[in-house]
Amino acid sequence: MSPTVSGDGSWVMAVLLLLPLVGAGVVMALRKNDRLAKQAALVFSIGELAMAACAWGKFEASGARLQQSFSFDWIPSFGVHISFGVDGIALVMIATIAVLTPIVIGAGWADKLPEGRTAGGFFALILLEQALTIGVFAATDVFLFYVLFEIMLIPMYFLIGSYGGARRQYAAVKFFLYSFLGGLIMLASVIACYVMAGDELGKGTFDWQTLVGVVSDAPLSTQIWLFLGFFAAFAFKAPLVPFHTWLPDATAEAPIVVGVLLVGVLDKVGTFGFLRYLLPMFPDASKELAPYVLVLAVAGIIYGAMLASGQTDMKRFVAYVSIAHFGFIALGIFAFSSQAMAGSVTYMLNHSIATGMLILVIGMVISRGGSTRIADYGGMSKLTPVLAGMLLIAGLSTLSLPGTNSFISEFLVLIGSFPNQPVFTIIATTGMVLAAIYVLWLYQRIMTGPLRGNALVTQEPPIDAPVDATSGGPGAVKVKLEPEVSAHKAIFDLNGREKLVLAPLLLLIIGLGVYPKPVLDVVTPTVDATMCEAALVDPVPAERQLQCQ
Amino acid sequence: MSTVLLLAQDQPLPPTPKVEAPPLTAIWPILIVLGAACVGVLFEAFLPRHQRWPAQVVLTLLAVVGAGLQLAFYLTDAPAAGELAMFGTLAVDRPALFLWGTLLALSFGAVLLIADRSVEPGGAFVATAAIRPGTLQDRAQVTATGMQTEVFPLTLFALGGMMIFCSANDLLTMFIALEVLSLPLYLMCGLARRRRLLSQEAAVKYFLLGAFASAFFLYGLALLYGYAGSVRLSDIAAAAAGTDRSDTLLFAGMALLIVGLLFKASVGPFHTWTPDVYQGAPTPVTAFMAACTKVAAFGGILRVLQVAFEATSWEWRSVLWGVAIVSMIIGAVLGLTQTDVKRMIAYSSVAHAGFLLVGAIALTEKGLSATLFYLLTYGFTTLAAFGVISLVRDSSGEATHLSQWAGLAKRSPLVAGVFTFILLALAGIPLTSGFVGKFVVFEAALADGMAPLVVIALVASAVAAFFYLRVIVLMYFSEPAADGPTVTVPGAFTTAAITLSVVVTLLLGIAPAFALDWAAGGVFAIR
Amino acid sequence: MTPTYYLLLSALLFTIGAVGVLVRRNAIVVFMCIELMLNAVNLTLVTFARINGDLSGQVMAFFVMVVAAAEVVVGLAIIMSIFRTRRTASVDDSNLLKY
Repeated sequence: MSPTVSGDGSWVMAVLLLLPLVGAGVVMALRKNDRLAKQAALVFSIGELAMAACAWGKFEASGARLQQSFSFDWIPSFGVHISFGVDGIALVMIATIAVLTPIVIGAGWADKLPEGRTAGGFFALILLEQALTIGVFAATDVFLFYVLFEIMLIPMYFLIGSYGGARRQYAAVKFFLYSFLGGLIMLASVIACYVMAGDELGKGTFDWQTLVGVVSDAPLSTQIWLFLGFFAAFAFKAPLVPFHTWLPDATAEAPIVVGVLLVGVLDKVGTFGFLRYLLPMFPDASKELAPYVLVLAVAGIIYGAMLASGQTDMKRFVAYVSIAHFGFIALGIFAFSSQAMAGSVTYMLNHSIATGMLILVIGMVISRGGSTRIADYGGMSKLTPVLAGMLLIAGLSTLSLPGTNSFISEFLVLIGSFPNQPVFTIIATTGMVLAAIYVLWLYQRIMTGPLRGNALVTQEPPIDAPVDATSGGPGAVKVKLEPEVSAHKAIFDLNGREKLVLAPLLLLIIGLGVYPKPVLDVVTPTVDATMCEAALVDPVPAERQLQCQ
Repeated sequence: MSTVLLLAQDQPLPPTPKVEAPPLTAIWPILIVLGAACVGVLFEAFLPRHQRWPAQVVLTLLAVVGAGLQLAFYLTDAPAAGELAMFGTLAVDRPALFLWGTLLALSFGAVLLIADRSVEPGGAFVATAAIRPGTLQDRAQVTATGMQTEVFPLTLFALGGMMIFCSANDLLTMFIALEVLSLPLYLMCGLARRRRLLSQEAAVKYFLLGAFASAFFLYGLALLYGYAGSVRLSDIAAAAAGTDRSDTLLFAGMALLIVGLLFKASVGPFHTWTPDVYQGAPTPVTAFMAACTKVAAFGGILRVLQVAFEATSWEWRSVLWGVAIVSMIIGAVLGLTQTDVKRMIAYSSVAHAGFLLVGAIALTEKGLSATLFYLLTYGFTTLAAFGVISLVRDSSGEATHLSQWAGLAKRSPLVAGVFTFILLALAGIPLTSGFVGKFVVFEAALADGMAPLVVIALVASAVAAFFYLRVIVLMYFSEPAADGPTVTVPGAFTTAAITLSVVVTLLLGIAPAFALDWAAGGVFAIR
Repeated sequence: MTPTYYLLLSALLFTIGAVGVLVRRNAIVVFMCIELMLNAVNLTLVTFARINGDLSGQVMAFFVMVVAAAEVVVGLAIIMSIFRTRRTASVDDSNLLKY
């Protein structure tokens, strides 16, 4: 294929990919000047958000399968192209990244970094990670997808390993090795697909659309092997239950803002891969193996919920909540109805927003108390009412209260899955109940009741001792102390920057909860196309009939 | 008895092959290298001591560059099917030319490392090899600025041997070339300036095991001669295609021959010398050995397997499957337990040898070109790795123990960054040449129906990635030791060698198309 | 006397040499065992030359001798240098390098 550039605004795509890369370079160059580097990072991430909005505006929901695409040769002798393009699902994911990155940069603005590390280096890695994840979602050449899928690990590895907590080395290596192993197994399948295309077409290719045509006709046994190869990578990434053990470690050790990226964006590559690669490329194998995947999905929902209830560490809590949510997403995808699938795609977005906010709020709690143990907190809402409110809202969105964004998607997943998979759906519903328990219980333990916990109150009654004079400030809230507590540490409510960081997430939670139509409009045609490619039909009676070409 | 012999000689001899004037144009690169080596020996004999080093360096670099230019010149109108030279003993075909180019480019980098005198004052080589380790003179020579400049002609001889080795068209030539490349290497291993005992021990081990393996190769040659009546590869292939001869001779001969070759390529389980020798030898020599010997040995393996034994591949392929698996597992698993950087890279090279073997037993054109490409990428990455290792030093010489590398990124971000890139390339992370190499090899193997082997290879790469990562973790996430090593600022030679290798590693990872096309330029000339 | 016996003899000699390399501990003796292996190969080559009725096997034997001589030069030099340090040529005493 000669270098081709399709007409419909492919420059947007190119800029979308290059802008964060350039940004990373600039921020890296400015790292000596802390303030300037931070500002540059913020400017670039906001510019990227504007570009993503531009791409969203140019996207025609009813248009071609892949839009805003461009492609040119990379390794001609192996038929490898550098080609990018988006469909509705990829667009939603790219928008998610674009929204989260400026928020993450804002949230990490005042983070205390380990000695010898600069904010410039930190933000440069975040921008690099952004560029690579956008590339993963936008790649339409399977080879390119694999390349970016693996490269994506490296900035994240350094983000965890260089800026993380006490056991960061262990967590970084574990994260890298799990993902790398999954990726390598996928590589075997990728190569096998290429070889099959070579046998069928005379010349091998990695073009996704061509491969879908070639591989989806393969006999079932072949498809199953290839399916398992891809599945390994995505199941590690998503993560589904037996493959999940790296996530709690990585989330617990990563800095808060990196945790947002990890859970909110990186892991979505797994579920995105289910939709983009597994279903269209291996339709027969998907149908054959769906029950097993569903078992893993539902097991994840229950297992994640139970372990979340039992966690004593806030960051690990969030990780297990996410594992439960990924179970829901996988359930919606492998229930094989367009309603459930659309629910899953919006869930991918909403989970990023809700969990992202949850992690950020928890990060703000931790930055005040200096401990990640839940038991070190109690009655904090007396000191920080706004923060408590934010935690409540993030939590309610996490447990899918009606009126919040997650409700729509969880509802769609469950109602769409029920006709095909009633048993699994009913089991999954118990996950909702558990979610209500663990979220509210967390809130209760941290925020309500009498002021208590090592992180908030000093043990010995310091008579006339100055209350941690270094961090005194105008925002301090005067609280009437409980009788048995003689002094509390200087804990302040949210400052302006933190409010500004949480505001957009708050707006999205409520906005998408009330009016999810813009997202559903973008997602639905792509979901329909995926259903058609996978030769799936909606269970009858369906509200509307799929229209396949 | 004598009458019998006479009678034997009275029998009509097979018609002598038609003797043509040997076309020398094809083998000029070899002649230049070997000729320069001879001149180098004369330099040693006639030049005063202080002039030898500059003269040798200039001569050696000129010879390598000259041979490379001559090769490029020849490539402009080389016959596509290849040609035979020196009465058919050398096959100058596309794979041979590719390997020559690779060898010349790699040895250019290696010679730069060998010639460096700024990292270790006076160079990495002993001033006078005859001094006994541990004596007063030995302590004096550590700081002396002289070195045994014989290293340079030895390097050239070894290089010439390697070039002949991978274009040898009959087994005898191959054997001679094997010795020509091995004997200088044995000597070079023992010439380290510091840790002389370690170095000498490495030389003894390498020599004894190397000679042992050569004997196996030779016995295999003899049995194949008995089988086919000739040691020409194409004659062996023709004889194997006919079925009326003793298969015992064929397979016994082939097994012994291959064992000898696998030993040179440090494929497990014939790798036992590798870690010891890599650790004990002077680091520039290790770089030369690791990069170039591997290329030459696999060049030979490819030629022998594809030209001589292709017809019987269904008989032996399963055995080499096993060898490849063993090699990958040994390399990956034992690499995990290493505490010395050089030994770790040695085990990594054993694992890589397994990957290369996977490509080599895919007896297709793709398998050939993929293995050739992999050799190119692996050679440069290894060269860069040893180049960097030679920079991290403390007062007693190179600091190769892993614990000494802790926190290196704080002391020298640049060196740590370069080494990280190299390790990622060895692990096969995309956008490095290592990934493209692995990709093409596995693609060829899969296309030839070796899916289980590919899966095992991928798992082995994941395991191997662990020990590369461990070093990265050490360098970046650990606190530096209080009395840790310093990073020497390299002189022009080492800088050039490392830069060259890193640039090639990056280039082949990002834009491998041109090198892939070269590697796929043609197949072995089977005559 | 059939040439097969020569082949058997040479195989036997080769095996003795190979076993010797593996079990003996003195570097010089190990080296001599390797030489024994090479000479066993020479015998094989000459015998096959006789069986096949061409001379190239005999010529190859000459090549092997020359190579063996070169190997002796290099090998003895290396063994000498380590012997002068350690006052022993036992392979077992060379133990600085191990796993």
